[in-house]
Amino acid sequence: METQAEIDFQSAVSAFSAARNEPDWLQKLRLTMLAKYPELALPKFDKIQYQRWPLTDAHEPAVQASDATALAALDLDYADAKNVLVTFGETVVTTRLDPELAAQGVIFTDIFTAVRDYPELVEKYFMTTAIKPDANRLTAFHAAFLNGGAFLYVPKNVVVKEPIQGYYIQDSTRKQDFIQHVLVVADTNSQVTYAENYATVGTEANLANVVVEVIAADDAHVHFSAVDQFSPATTGYLSRQGNLANDAQLDWAVGMMNDGNVVVDFNTDLVGKGAHAEVKVVAVTTGKQLQGIDTRVTNYGQHTIGHILQHGVILETSSLIFNGVGHIVKGARGSDSQQESRVLMLSTHARGDANPILLIDENDVTAGHAASVGRVDQEQMYYLMSRGIDKKRAERLVIRGFLGNVLTEIPAKRVRDQLTATIERKLENGQKSE
Amino acid sequence: MSKLEVKNLHVAVVDEDKGQEKEILKGVNLTMNTGEIHAIMGPNGTGKSTLSQAIMGNPAYKVTEGDVLLNGKSILELPVDERARAGLFLAMQYPAEIAGVTNVEFMRAAINARRADDDQIPVLEFMKFLDKNLATLDMTDDMVERYLNEGFSGGEKKRNEILQLMMIQPKFAILDEIDSGLDIDALKVVSKGVNAMRGPEFGSLIITHYQRLLNYIVPDTVHVMMDGRIVESGGPELAEKLEAEGYAGVRDDLGIDVKLTDEI
Repeated sequence: METQAEIDFQSAVSAFSAARNEPDWLQKLRLTMLAKYPELALPKFDKIQYQRWPLTDAHEPAVQASDATALAALDLDYADAKNVLVTFGETVVTTRLDPELAAQGVIFTDIFTAVRDYPELVEKYFMTTAIKPDANRLTAFHAAFLNGGAFLYVPKNVVVKEPIQGYYIQDSTRKQDFIQHVLVVADTNSQVTYAENYATVGTEANLANVVVEVIAADDAHVHFSAVDQFSPATTGYLSRQGNLANDAQLDWAVGMMNDGNVVVDFNTDLVGKGAHAEVKVVAVTTGKQLQGIDTRVTNYGQHTIGHILQHGVILETSSLIFNGVGHIVKGARGSDSQQESRVLMLSTHARGDANPILLIDENDVTAGHAASVGRVDQEQMYYLMSRGIDKKRAERLVIRGFLGNVLTEIPAKRVRDQLTATIERKLENGQKSE
Repeated sequence: MSKLEVKNLHVAVVDEDKGQEKEILKGVNLTMNTGEIHAIMGPNGTGKSTLSQAIMGNPAYKVTEGDVLLNGKSILELPVDERARAGLFLAMQYPAEIAGVTNVEFMRAAINARRADDDQIPVLEFMKFLDKNLATLDMTDDMVERYLNEGFSGGEKKRNEILQLMMIQPKFAILDEIDSGLDIDALKVVSKGVNAMRGPEFGSLIITHYQRLLNYIVPDTVHVMMDGRIVESGGPELAEKLEAEGYAGVRDDLGIDVKLTDEI
């Protein structure tokens, strides 16, 4: 394999962009960020040590197809989904959108089709509003090497009733970077439920760099749920960024079920007056992995509401860090910032941290936080076991109960059931060594 | 027929404030067979609940002397789940609440824990059995879809304990103050459930403070417990004597030198 120094990245990125028929603005953005990223600082997150991870060891970008038959290993359940996009590596496997929605102007397609077919719309929102490409080294790297993702656009006043689902599968049957961008734009007074799943096929060690932007215009309401399950060999930077205008609402529910090391940059900006975000995170950490999750909500607008609820479970020798950052800026009068982060440790060798950070620069607000790191409730264990349920299964039930506070908030039953099954799988794996 | 024996049982708990062990049971002897209903009565603080927890295997209670045998084999070394699968059941005074786990999936897990992996109870069979038991206990379907004991009233929790008892079908059920906090209608319903279980393959140890429950579940044997020991045993008439004379009267009749917790 060539070393990074031997690759002419500028030519390779240009060629990749040209092969994808990208508009000039995107090619230019890629090259600018390619030049800039090494100089930019890595994003800093309290107590999360990831600086030495190989998150910018790019491979030479090339348009390459993945063999979709390999997806059989994952048992994905989207056969009867009306609105669904499935990608594997850089290959689009399935794309379906209810014709009625399409007729109303809803767009849901892979990111390369989107930049070709809707260049102005994508250009308007792509890394302009929720996150800037030069925000840090990893976002700039992302812009330079982007090689997959999706675009969802819901026009003004359109209410999408059926959920929109995305399955973005990393191809680690070979060395290939997974640099995905998902751009969700809910225009004025629209409503949409979007659910996304990330997973890996194959065992190669690869990097994943995912940036998701959710832009909710005035009075828009977005339900967003995600289940991330990258493989043990994947090192990930997972960034989700929300930007809310006046009276917009965004409900996040995210399951961090990865098996490798990930740093999660989860940020919501309540910009408009009366904007409201509910952020719910569940995480299960096993093996030797570290999941470092930095969840931040910033109240900029007046009368904005930002709530963070994070529950996580740590098994074996793994580490889980929950930062909860609630920031109310000066002038955001009448705003509310609440957060709760709880971590359950199943092993004496695990490491966990629930770290509340409240930054309040305005007087006329309400704010609160709760954080705890604890062990499984022995009374609950005794009760379950007194009915004949063995210790490991009882533990899984107690944990499910503990994570249930968050799980029950996920509106789509399919996503909820799938997340429950994923938790069960991850817990069973994690308990094997105990 | 199965046999449960408690022999010279001494049990201590650790006082968390003082860090000292305190002996609660001071030599309890009790033998019961399936087909029999025994009641243990006694004033507050005499160790009735301690006895039930020690038999079930609550790790917070430490057996310092004596033994508990099921069909002649000591169960003291068995963890609580193995004791349960061996046939013991404890209807608890304060059942734990577990959000996120539904009552129905909990009961299925409990039943399936007693069956082989390739012989799990079919859903239809389970639901039919559940419906039958719900009807006996005047419980509605939505109770089973709710999270385990979460937000249940005191009476609902007690009914739910009896529902589990009826679903699990243990050999021996210990009912720890199942009547506390129940109004008369709920008491009748709970008793109906326990009476439905009566038969040659079921035995029950009913722990109660009041004689009232025993009007509905008539025991074969009544034991009186004071100061960590069983001080007298007899037929159902003993419960009536207690009701009439109070615990202090029985104590004085027997000439036992203990101070009752609630005595002024």
